[in-house]
Amino acid sequence: MIPAIADLSFPAGWIPPYNTLVVAAGVASVGFAAGVVGCFAVLRRRALAGDAAAHATLLGVGLAFLLGGGRRDLPLLLGGALSTAIAALLALVLIGRWTRTRDDAATAIVLGVSFGAGITLLSGISARGIPGSAGLEQFLLGHTAGLTAADAMILGALSLLTVALVALFLKESTLVAFDPLFAAASGWPVTLIDYALVVLVAVMVVVGLPAAGAVLVTALVVIPPVTARQWTDSVGVMLPLAGLFGLVAALSGVAVSSAVPRMPTGPLVVIAASVLLTISLLIAPRRGGLARWLRSRRTMAAWAEGRLLEVALRLEAQGPFTREQLLAKTPGAAADSAFKRLVRSAAIEPVVTRVGTDAWRLAVWGRELAAERSRRLAAWTEVLEAAREDARGHLTIDVPSPEAVLGAARMKAIRESAAAARNAAGPA
Amino acid sequence: MSTTSAGLEFHDVTVAYGRRPVLWNVDLTVPGACLFGIIGPNGAGKSTLLKAALGLVPLAGGEVRILGAPLEQVRSRVGYVPQRESVDWDFPVTVTDVVLMGTYARLGWLRRPGPRERSLAAECLDRVGLADVADRQIGRLSGGQQQRVFLARALAQQADVYFLDEPMAGVDARSQERIFRVLSDLRAEGRLVVIVHHDLRSVAEWFDAVALIDMRLVATGPVAEVLTPENLRRTYAGRLDVLDEIGRAVAEGGRTP
Repeated sequence: MIPAIADLSFPAGWIPPYNTLVVAAGVASVGFAAGVVGCFAVLRRRALAGDAAAHATLLGVGLAFLLGGGRRDLPLLLGGALSTAIAALLALVLIGRWTRTRDDAATAIVLGVSFGAGITLLSGISARGIPGSAGLEQFLLGHTAGLTAADAMILGALSLLTVALVALFLKESTLVAFDPLFAAASGWPVTLIDYALVVLVAVMVVVGLPAAGAVLVTALVVIPPVTARQWTDSVGVMLPLAGLFGLVAALSGVAVSSAVPRMPTGPLVVIAASVLLTISLLIAPRRGGLARWLRSRRTMAAWAEGRLLEVALRLEAQGPFTREQLLAKTPGAAADSAFKRLVRSAAIEPVVTRVGTDAWRLAVWGRELAAERSRRLAAWTEVLEAAREDARGHLTIDVPSPEAVLGAARMKAIRESAAAARNAAGPA
Repeated sequence: MSTTSAGLEFHDVTVAYGRRPVLWNVDLTVPGACLFGIIGPNGAGKSTLLKAALGLVPLAGGEVRILGAPLEQVRSRVGYVPQRESVDWDFPVTVTDVVLMGTYARLGWLRRPGPRERSLAAECLDRVGLADVADRQIGRLSGGQQQRVFLARALAQQADVYFLDEPMAGVDARSQERIFRVLSDLRAEGRLVVIVHHDLRSVAEWFDAVALIDMRLVATGPVAEVLTPENLRRTYAGRLDVLDEIGRAVAEGGRTP
């Protein structure tokens, strides 16, 4: 079974060639670093600026190619890419500072203009058939097959350097990303730190070019952090986790593309990253969609049940009630299933009891629950009137006991001030 | 710690956003060691005055001195509580993480908070009554608790002059009481506390002195001397609904119901 498959793909004693290993390691570190650096782009809401920088890289690739006299030297081309990426970011800053253009429009403009210029230049180069220009278009969607071990080592080293910088300045970056105003007031050079973080994003976008291409490399910077955020509430955990997700996405994209001839790596990297993201968005505890859905269902159900009990208590004053009567007085989609749950719960501790084919009464326990709920609601209404912010800060839809949440002493004070207000209003 | 000279001086301070002036020639001296309120209607430039003192907005004219010196020389002795809405409360940090940020300036570049900073943060959290939520993500707090996290962070700055921007906005009565008590303690320790505040009813109860501003300084001095119907009319001119409320609050002598 397994040996047979292994025999097919990896002949006994097969060792991946040195070049493949180095390229894989390089791509892995690029993915890791993109995830780590991307965290601050996402937390500081600069993800789109990174995208504009990414689209501007093509122009730099083309210019560097021409200036270098047609050499396809990766460090040279990436140097060109970095300079136009940073120029694009600079353009964003200048537009923001000197014109009254909104951020999103400015980003779209810079992205569109620089990408258009880049594509025009690359098309011109390839139309003229300048020697060595074949393959420049690989920077559009990414292609790692042509990477040499030396190239991969440069990419890996740059990646590790950016990760080291982020780790070194984690304290400062977190402070500025969370509360720039406070940071500035306590004397930190906020603008400098901000720019440094954006430049790091630009560096990662450039380093990620061979793996994901200009159009898609932002995904490598943005998707892993968003994925990681689903699983943790701590920056310290989010960073390495985003790195890990980026690493997995980059490696699996590159691995699949190496098995399929002429397949660009960028789209595969993005697909791998989005699979991780989709899974996380669905099943992450607390923040995940499933957890949220269950939670909201539970609160809706609790509210519907409480509301049913409240109505039942009133109906019961005139003797047993029918299901129809009860549901007629409690509009809402959840009421029907809430009633079923109330009936079913009878097996453990009766809340309602059946006294005829369609005649119901509240059981002792149900009456107690209903009475307690009405009492709490009345008390919360009082809090809302006498001390609005207390209610706003603490009242939740499951109607907790105000004494338990606010403390008995605080509740007493609210009652007294409410009574005083009533007395003051009364005689007049 | 306490200073004999003025705690905070604004000399002819003017601030403009573009061509629109927000503050005109504000000339204001705040004595040391007191609870000082900056009061005025919405858009009067209260927060801007605070930001001008902290060097967060450029001055079109004038100068600010804190503890008798320019801001750059006394930055480490200044604490700040920004408006609660100015940050993203979904940010992945815990209550303790945020309070530790108050120690960052003292730590400087690269040095991480150690046991000393951690115990200081715990102490500050205890002072504002949040010791039991120290490890919680900051989004899972009530508005009053979030405001107290910011106060604890400012306490961790161990400053001599504190600036607070609307610290009672959206805060429940229990948090408000707690915050005011901490601020009174700071004053008792000889520190100056400057608060941008909008609720006139609590002014007389807690504050020593106030400045009424509406683009310009209308009046300043002890609460009883400043909160006169005439001054309030000049500050809240045209805003009759507010005037009504203020009239009642002043008539009640500022007691909170």
